[in-house]
Amino acid sequence: MIPLSWYLLVAAALFCIGLYGVMARRNAVAILMSVELMLNAVNINLIAFWRYHAQPVGGELVWLGQPTGLAWAIFVLALAAAEAVVGLALLISVYRQRESVIAEELDTLRF
Amino acid sequence: MEFLQENLLSVIIFWPLVAALFIFLLPDDEESLIRRLSFVLSLVPLALTLFLWFDWAANYRALPGFHFETILPWFPAIGSSYHVGIDGISLALILLTVILTPLSILASFNIEERVKMFMVLFLFLETGMLGLFASLDLLIFFVFWEIGLVPMYFLIRLWGGADREYASFKFFIYTMAGSLGLLLSIQIIGLAAGTFDIPLLMEQWVPLTEGVLPGTGLPVDLVKTVAYVLFVIAFAIKVPVWPFHTWLPDAHTQAPTAGSMILAGVLLKLGAYGFIRLVIPLFPEEAYITAGVLAVFGMLSIVFGGFAAYGQWDFKRLVAYSSINHMGFVVLGIAVMAAVYGFEFAQGVALPAGHAYSRDAIIATSGAVFQMFNHGLSAAGMFFLVGVVYDRTHTRDLKRYSGLWSVLPAFGAILIFTSMASLGLPGLNGFVSEFMIVRGAWGVFPVVVALSMLGLLMTGAYILKGIGQTLHGPLLPEWRGLKDMTLREHLVIWPLMALMLSLGVWPQWLVAIINDTVSRIFG
Amino acid sequence: MSEETLTLFTWLVPAGPLLAFFLIILLFNRNKTLSWITAWAGIFASLFFGWTVALTVFFEGIEDLYALAHHPEVIESAIAWLPFGESIEGWLFMGVMVDPLTAVMLFMVPFATAMILVYSVGYHRWGLGPGDHVVLGAPNHAGIEPLFARFFALMSLFAGGMLALVVSDNLLLLFMGWEIMGLCSYMLIGFWYAREYEDPKSTPPRRAAVKAFMTTRAADVVMLLGIVFFYRVFGTLNFSEALSAESLATAADVVGFGALGLMALFLFTGTVGKSAQWPLHVWLPDAMEGPTPVSAVIHAAAMVSAGVYLIVRIFPLIAVAMEGLPVVGIIIAGIGAFTAIMAATIALAQYDVKRVLAYSTISQLGFMVAAIGIGAYVAAAFHLITHAFFKALLFLGSGSIIHGMEYGAEVVHDHHTDPQDMRNMGGLRHKMPITFWTFVAGGFALAGFPFVTAGFWSKDEIFAEAWFQGTHGNPMAIVVFIVLAIAALLTAFYTARQIALTFLGEPRTELAEHAHESDAFMTIPLVLLSLFAIAFGWLGIPDNFLGTDGIFYNYFHHFVGVTVEERFVELNELGIHVHEIATLPWEWLPLITSLVVALGGLFLGWWVYGRDPLAAGEPDPMEEPLGPVWDFLYWKWYWDELYHAVFVEPVEYFSDTVVYQLVDKGLIDGTLHLIGRGVYGVGAYFKGFEETVISDGVDAVKDGFLDMSREMRTIQSGKLQEYVLVSAGIASVLAILILAINFDVLNPVFEWWNNVWINVILPF
Repeated sequence: MIPLSWYLLVAAALFCIGLYGVMARRNAVAILMSVELMLNAVNINLIAFWRYHAQPVGGELVWLGQPTGLAWAIFVLALAAAEAVVGLALLISVYRQRESVIAEELDTLRF
Repeated sequence: MEFLQENLLSVIIFWPLVAALFIFLLPDDEESLIRRLSFVLSLVPLALTLFLWFDWAANYRALPGFHFETILPWFPAIGSSYHVGIDGISLALILLTVILTPLSILASFNIEERVKMFMVLFLFLETGMLGLFASLDLLIFFVFWEIGLVPMYFLIRLWGGADREYASFKFFIYTMAGSLGLLLSIQIIGLAAGTFDIPLLMEQWVPLTEGVLPGTGLPVDLVKTVAYVLFVIAFAIKVPVWPFHTWLPDAHTQAPTAGSMILAGVLLKLGAYGFIRLVIPLFPEEAYITAGVLAVFGMLSIVFGGFAAYGQWDFKRLVAYSSINHMGFVVLGIAVMAAVYGFEFAQGVALPAGHAYSRDAIIATSGAVFQMFNHGLSAAGMFFLVGVVYDRTHTRDLKRYSGLWSVLPAFGAILIFTSMASLGLPGLNGFVSEFMIVRGAWGVFPVVVALSMLGLLMTGAYILKGIGQTLHGPLLPEWRGLKDMTLREHLVIWPLMALMLSLGVWPQWLVAIINDTVSRIFG
Repeated sequence: MSEETLTLFTWLVPAGPLLAFFLIILLFNRNKTLSWITAWAGIFASLFFGWTVALTVFFEGIEDLYALAHHPEVIESAIAWLPFGESIEGWLFMGVMVDPLTAVMLFMVPFATAMILVYSVGYHRWGLGPGDHVVLGAPNHAGIEPLFARFFALMSLFAGGMLALVVSDNLLLLFMGWEIMGLCSYMLIGFWYAREYEDPKSTPPRRAAVKAFMTTRAADVVMLLGIVFFYRVFGTLNFSEALSAESLATAADVVGFGALGLMALFLFTGTVGKSAQWPLHVWLPDAMEGPTPVSAVIHAAAMVSAGVYLIVRIFPLIAVAMEGLPVVGIIIAGIGAFTAIMAATIALAQYDVKRVLAYSTISQLGFMVAAIGIGAYVAAAFHLITHAFFKALLFLGSGSIIHGMEYGAEVVHDHHTDPQDMRNMGGLRHKMPITFWTFVAGGFALAGFPFVTAGFWSKDEIFAEAWFQGTHGNPMAIVVFIVLAIAALLTAFYTARQIALTFLGEPRTELAEHAHESDAFMTIPLVLLSLFAIAFGWLGIPDNFLGTDGIFYNYFHHFVGVTVEERFVELNELGIHVHEIATLPWEWLPLITSLVVALGGLFLGWWVYGRDPLAAGEPDPMEEPLGPVWDFLYWKWYWDELYHAVFVEPVEYFSDTVVYQLVDKGLIDGTLHLIGRGVYGVGAYFKGFEETVISDGVDAVKDGFLDMSREMRTIQSGKLQEYVLVSAGIASVLAILILAINFDVLNPVFEWWNNVWINVILPF
């Protein structure tokens, strides 16, 4: 069985790639995609912890069988979908207003 | 209809407030509509009060105590409730208020600026006055007392004469100075007795004589003395009693005509009413001790008021001082009430039944209430007539009028009639009440009464000065084209004159109602 | 006539003129004809009711004097008027009452007033046609009085007030009538309110009106005290109840004679004012400024009679007070006698035809008051009635003279010569014969011309009473007798002077030359009044006149005397000794005195003025021999100047300067302004404190925050990725911290902090 740490390394790498994308890309759509990557990195973590979260019962590791980790992951997926919907709608609206989706130019929050 | 029957008094009190709110919602520029509507709406309390009056005369005269009572919880935590009710004394003064308010509104039809605001304030003022005369709870009394103050301030401040800022400020400060002490005393009483209800206080507050006052830790007699003095000062300012009177001439001189009418007609009565309803019943012992002082101050008001009025050359100021002169008689009557009502509390023994003092006090107290009513009529009439002549000549300087009778014949006759009512000519109302007060006071304070006759003499002097300077003498060319009184002005003054004559010839219709209540006080 | 009808009639006596007043004022104030017809209707209704009542009472009473004596209040009717207390017995009742005294007043007042009102129509509507220059409030010599309706309305009110006073059964209604007359006299004296005189020393009508009102009011306020005193002591204001023998005796027991005397003097003060007795007589001569009918009604029928009527009405009280406290009688008699002689001397030196009569009125009223002061009740009442008739006649006659003169002035267009000055008259007997003969009748009655005139009999009765009292232990009565005799002599003298100056000799001016007789409206009342001025006295011829027995019968004395006769008998039985009303024994001396003073005075007057009538421009023959005394009399003993200096000016100074400027503006308002300024000063100090300390401190804090926020703003770039960077950085730091804590790397730091916390901070 593949040890837990492998999964965690993949997830961390994926998270860092997403974070990099969020911070480095100028296009807001790309930033949104990078956020999705970060969320999915979290999903991998959740699933991995759930799968390896077991307790020794009678000298044997027993999977406790509670679907909490899966439920969390599904919540995150739903949230990511909702975020994509709202985010993309906002972006389209912004594009109509400003003819641009470059994140640095959208600095009206300053005021 | 049943609601009206059961809450008639409250409806009378709050109708003007509702009317004021309604007027307030009308557009500003509908001035003519606002004037007429205010007048018509102010007639409703009059109609309701007449209904109340006849109901009272038919069914309640023989019954002791207060009637048409309403008690609703208002501020239960401190023992205050909305408690209103009337006896013969309040009824007479409520009648006076509802008669004078429509007439004052009619008299102010010639106001051109901010008509809506004027009418709203006026109707608001009426609620304050009516509520005060009906309230049987000290806190409610105080609330209405203050309601009576604020609109009057604005009436003087916004629609007054040239020196209105000084006058309105003086009026406000004087009255507030009294009100502070009043509020303090009311709180002490409420704290000590646990209630603000006046009939209850008569049972719980008055018998407290010695020891420490519950809730304060102060000795009872000290608190009572302080509270009594504060009460007396508050009401003495309002009456006004010499030497607390100097706000009055200024306020009157600067106030608009209708403001003066209602100020002299009703607001001064609030003070005297306070003496009769609160000061003497709540502090009988202190009142008994100081009755002589009160009588002397009444006498000084009569005498100095008369002299000062004679010294005036401003017609309106002359009439204003005449109010001090006339209200002095009310104070004299109240002093008799204090001396006799408090006798039992101070001496520990009741006056023997049928003692001459009881009769003196009944006559003097009825006379004082009747004098309040009469002064309300004649002072309002006089201020109105001063307003009429001012509207035409644009001066109040007596030295500048001369021979106006030749161009204003109807005005002249009416001025003489009203002046004579004010002077106390037998056959008109003022005489009857002055006679009653002098008759009642003679047995108790003979020297004071004899001295106050000097003031009565001066009453004649200043009234004749007013008439002589205005109407008599050769007609000056500048007044040649003046127009006599209009129909609206006649409509204001004739009801007053009819009342003056009817009360002079047949005073019974009003005095009987007052006398019922007063007789029971001394019964 | 049934008693109910008589009662109703009595109630109706004052109603007519009062109704007429309201009708004229409210409805007919523009119509001259309707207004005088209404006034006539009112007063003649009163005349009808009054005479019916008076004559019924007289003829029924005179038949059975004994019954009348035991119940003099023939008509009594009252209604509860003012509520005092719970039981209706304690209320004040208003009503009417007729006893013999009221009856004779009811005979005189409506008749005299009616005559005056008839005369007034002529007085105000004469003239040579409508004037082209009508001035309101001033006499219009060329036309009808423009304020005709107002005049008749006020005259009606005046009559109504007087009649209410006469029929009143209590002091309050009497006082109401009394004061209504005061108002009417004010209005009528000042009727020509716009009139001005060139001479600043003369009194224009409007000032005369104020003077009349204020002088009488000074007395009235004291009288009001008397009324309340009366009410308190007797418990009622009703005359017959309060002044019954038991009531008086009880009061004398309870409050004592001193209080009763004080009460009597308070009430008497009212008389002093209203009947123009010294020291309050000064208003009456100036009251001549009113139109002449007003002078007549004030001086004869109504106003001044009311004052004497009051003390006659309350005579039982005065009698009791006098007996218990003789000084009361001395004061009343002294004031009366002094007034009688003082006014008579002033009348000697007056030129104004009406002023002479005015002072003679004051003088004659002094006779009546002096009579009351010595207890001559019936004589005072008798003189009151006869005087009213002949004085009304004289005033109306003088008005007729003035009209005649004004007519002359109109003819010759002379408006500068005073038509009232007797020096400008003379020879009017041929121009105005009716006026002349009636005036002579009135003048002789005033002078007391023997046997024929009414004035003789009434004065004679006063002399007889004074002599009788004086010879029976009242020294004051002797003084009164002597003083009144001298006054009567002077009266006859100035009457002769007046008649001579006015009517005898030749006309001294053009005005008198062109004078003519007045019209029938004016002469008919003169003739009717002159009948009464002569014949009324025949009712009062003493029973034992000239020592006879059974020839004469003193109707007046017996009829009026029974009003109080029985009461006095009862009082004597109750132990209070008062002089009873009785027929006096016959004495020659008073009669001789009357004859001597009347005839002597008339003769002297004729001898000085009539024998050799004054020529135009000649001074008065008495002026030179009297010297400074003449000036003293001409200037009326300088009372006006004295009062002006002693009362009028100090009151004006006190009112304006002391009470208003000094006390109100200076003392009271000054104190308030001082407090106001003090409070304002404290306020200004706190305002400064607030501005420098509180306000600036708060500002500093505010500025600090503003600066800080301005600094902080720079990190707000609005750029998303910078925020993410910061978030990531903070997250990293937190992660490192958590790791560090997890692996116990920071333990030394925590321990150090624990030490600091426990050892350093907590001990504080």
